Amino acid sequence: MKAEISWLDDPETFRVNQLPARSDHRGFQSTAEATTRQSSLEQSLDGDWQFQFAQTPQERPVGFYDPDYDRTHFDTITVPGHIEIAGYGQLKYINTTYPWEGKDCRRPAYALGDGDTGKGMFSEGEDNTVGAYVTNFILNPALRDKRVIVQFDGVEEAMYLWLNGQFVGYAEDSFSRSEFDLTPYLKDGENLMAVEVFKRSTAAFIEDQDMFRFSGIFRSVRLAGKPAVFLEDLAIRPDVSADYTDGKLNLALKLSQTDDAPAAEIRVKVTDGDGREVLSLTKPAAESVTFENNVFKKVHLWNHMDPYLYHLQIELTTTDGTTLEVVPYDFGFRKVELKNKIMLLNGNRIIINGVNRHEWDAKRGRAVTDEDMHYDMQVFHDNNINAVRTCHYPDQIPWYFLCDHEGIYMMAENNLESHGSWQKMGAVEPSYNVPGSVPQWKAAVIDRARSNYEAFKNHTAVLFWSLGNESYAGDDIAAMNKFYKDHDDTRLTHYEGVCRNRKYEDQISDMESMMYDPPVEIAKYLENDPKKPFVNCEYMHDMGNSLGGMSSYDALIDKYPMYQGGFIWDYIDQALWTEDEVTGEPVLRYGGDFDDRHSDYEFSGDGLLFADRTPKPAMQEVKYYYGKHIN
Amino acid sequence: MANTSTKVKVIFGDASLGLRGTNFGYIFSYDRGGLESLVQNGKEWCYRIPRPAFWRATTDNDRGNQFYVKSAQWLAADMFSQCVKIEVFIDGQSVGFPISPENNKYSNQEYADEAAVEYTYQTTTTPATTVTVRYTVDGSGSIQVAAYYNGAKGLPQLPVFGLRFTMPTAATGFDYQGLSGETYPDRMAGGVPGTYHVDGLPVSPYMVPQECGMHMATDSVTVNRDQTLNNADTSRANFSLHFSKANKPFAFSCLPYTPEELENATHIEELPLKRRTILTIYGATRGVGGIDSWGADVEEQYHVSAEQDIAFGFVIDGPEQ
Repeated sequence: MKAEISWLDDPETFRVNQLPARSDHRGFQSTAEATTRQSSLEQSLDGDWQFQFAQTPQERPVGFYDPDYDRTHFDTITVPGHIEIAGYGQLKYINTTYPWEGKDCRRPAYALGDGDTGKGMFSEGEDNTVGAYVTNFILNPALRDKRVIVQFDGVEEAMYLWLNGQFVGYAEDSFSRSEFDLTPYLKDGENLMAVEVFKRSTAAFIEDQDMFRFSGIFRSVRLAGKPAVFLEDLAIRPDVSADYTDGKLNLALKLSQTDDAPAAEIRVKVTDGDGREVLSLTKPAAESVTFENNVFKKVHLWNHMDPYLYHLQIELTTTDGTTLEVVPYDFGFRKVELKNKIMLLNGNRIIINGVNRHEWDAKRGRAVTDEDMHYDMQVFHDNNINAVRTCHYPDQIPWYFLCDHEGIYMMAENNLESHGSWQKMGAVEPSYNVPGSVPQWKAAVIDRARSNYEAFKNHTAVLFWSLGNESYAGDDIAAMNKFYKDHDDTRLTHYEGVCRNRKYEDQISDMESMMYDPPVEIAKYLENDPKKPFVNCEYMHDMGNSLGGMSSYDALIDKYPMYQGGFIWDYIDQALWTEDEVTGEPVLRYGGDFDDRHSDYEFSGDGLLFADRTPKPAMQEVKYYYGKHIN
Repeated sequence: MANTSTKVKVIFGDASLGLRGTNFGYIFSYDRGGLESLVQNGKEWCYRIPRPAFWRATTDNDRGNQFYVKSAQWLAADMFSQCVKIEVFIDGQSVGFPISPENNKYSNQEYADEAAVEYTYQTTTTPATTVTVRYTVDGSGSIQVAAYYNGAKGLPQLPVFGLRFTMPTAATGFDYQGLSGETYPDRMAGGVPGTYHVDGLPVSPYMVPQECGMHMATDSVTVNRDQTLNNADTSRANFSLHFSKANKPFAFSCLPYTPEELENATHIEELPLKRRTILTIYGATRGVGGIDSWGADVEEQYHVSAEQDIAFGFVIDGPEQ
């Protein structure tokens, strides 16, 4: 297959040769490795890559992926990271309008009619910078003679992949992991991997989040070795009885086996929080294996105050006892319900003391570190924050495991925002809204929902699936809602944008979600025979010196059972450390400070934390009110 | 001297009223229209006269809901309102405005149980209104300060009303008894009552410099310095000035900048070097709001009406004896 640059213009081409989305579990070679979470089956490709930047697609180094291409003039760039922060390409912050505002006039393909195919819109875009990345690797011994896949945890915003000069595949969706099977293209000795990253593609229309607009390989890249038999997908369904006393565990495993794979068996073991074995089962390996209705009497439930986890370990062994793969996964028992129009966790009304959290690091942009995540988790604990909305894209995978362990309720949002397509100068004007009900955009957004669901379906912390942010509403988002409903009856769906188009309110979102609704308006909704429980998906806009009047929202909690709290906008200011052009001192700069126009300037700073992660003075107010209703 | 220790010595000057006692000396200027000098234990505390404060540096929410447009005239009033009247009171009795030759009748040995000076300021607003600030000094050097804002129909809402002191050098820090952190009328539930020390003069580093550093419900505040502008004083020993509540707690902020300096900066690094101490004591302050930052008003109960009178007071303690 040949890579086509025209894919950038086509909303119906968003993944080529990508492996299907699957659970985010990790494979290990032994139980000892699984215990320490150090996998010799994984080989990191993070670090210095060769790099060539091009201002436009026309200036890009065509054919750079060829082993014989002369790359001696290439620079070096660090992966993961953003191309713009590395000094190539202009930094830019913009909120709702599209980043090409005032520079290019674009309408999404097919949004204004079937004849409008968008040909050349991005593949010839003057603002479509390109990063050509190259790295060499030799497989670690543990990966040799195995099937090898490559995992890109985040590449913004469209990527083409080659190995040893051969085209492997293509991916959009900047914030979901993209996996490709490298096995057919691998060589003994040194391999040459090339990635071509475009800043813009049709994804730009549905990745219009309120954030700095970056590009590049901004999350980790690794190789994963897969034994002859390996666990491809895992679905853990821990159910809780109607009286919240007993648990029932269902497991569905998908295995991948080579044609010459040895006969194998699956051993499933569950231990409790004290390490006592509570379940041990064995079955012969097959493509699809289930372990159903395993009862856990008097099960220890999971919630924010007591995030109790059981430890599942799946071992694949040959029948003569050789370990092929070990997959550990911690999970909790908890039940999410919508009863009498109130959302319950384990039978108790949920109160969301939440924040919206963009991934942000003032030095690294959205390429946040483990240290950032642990710090943030401590801030949550210190200030009685019990919930997080992953605005407005899936976060790095370790964050979900942290939330499981720390008892943080997650509203897991897939990667979608098309704000500029329906709201202009503050007015609702959806003439060219995507995805809307445009058929050609439907598969792309369903794919985003699927990637989110499949990756994170086993996370106890995820109580809600969110269909995205500020994208208006139409058939396509209704289909996303249906996707989640068809695949998962253990969680609730969330979407705010349906309040802008109430025709879809019976098809989209289990909760009435609003943003920035004044307390008096919320009370009006709750007083007038509401259909759904109410959640603020964004409230208490903490821009600059703000967060006054929280008592009025707090008062709704005791007054209206169907008022279930909300997520403060937002967690951390988006500003970047840079050098002052006058003094040479390090300073924090925000939108518009990079000569970036059109900009929304200081609207990039609405956090409870300053960009350097120091809490703002208002944090003590959050701690006080959130502490009143912690559950 | 024993008989003078409970009384304050009154100097009926040609351009000011001087009030002196053990370890203190105050000059209430006629030509500057305010308290020009406040010396305790040999250290000067006034760089320029205290002025009525009407403005706060625009917050992002103020910008979003256009409060700064509607109330813009308070910015001019904050900077430019003038003293229009001065009246002196000795032991509670008015002696008018005792400039020369009226003051020739007084000796160099005039004492009183208490002496007061009342300044009236006229705002540059339309309509104009007045503020009176009355300083009453007794023999201990204690200064009772009473400020009164006369409400006037038609004036836009006030950002704040207070009295702003500009001290000659930057404080090394301050101590106060009140609530933890930065608090506002609509954001003070999380403030924990206690006694707090703040090092230096921190400015909350909001991306765009703006109103910051407010401390609501304060019983007392002590400003600490270790430097003067007096060329003959090279000591770096710490010295302090103590403010305490009169009949009810007050709000204050202690910053190195005026609201106008903060207003002009788009980044914290654009602010000038920290040279002065700007201590403002507030009788009324508007909430910061928080519903959104593009239109939602601060909740009504946290507005400050300019159409109603506002009275507040506090005490500047005399020197320790």
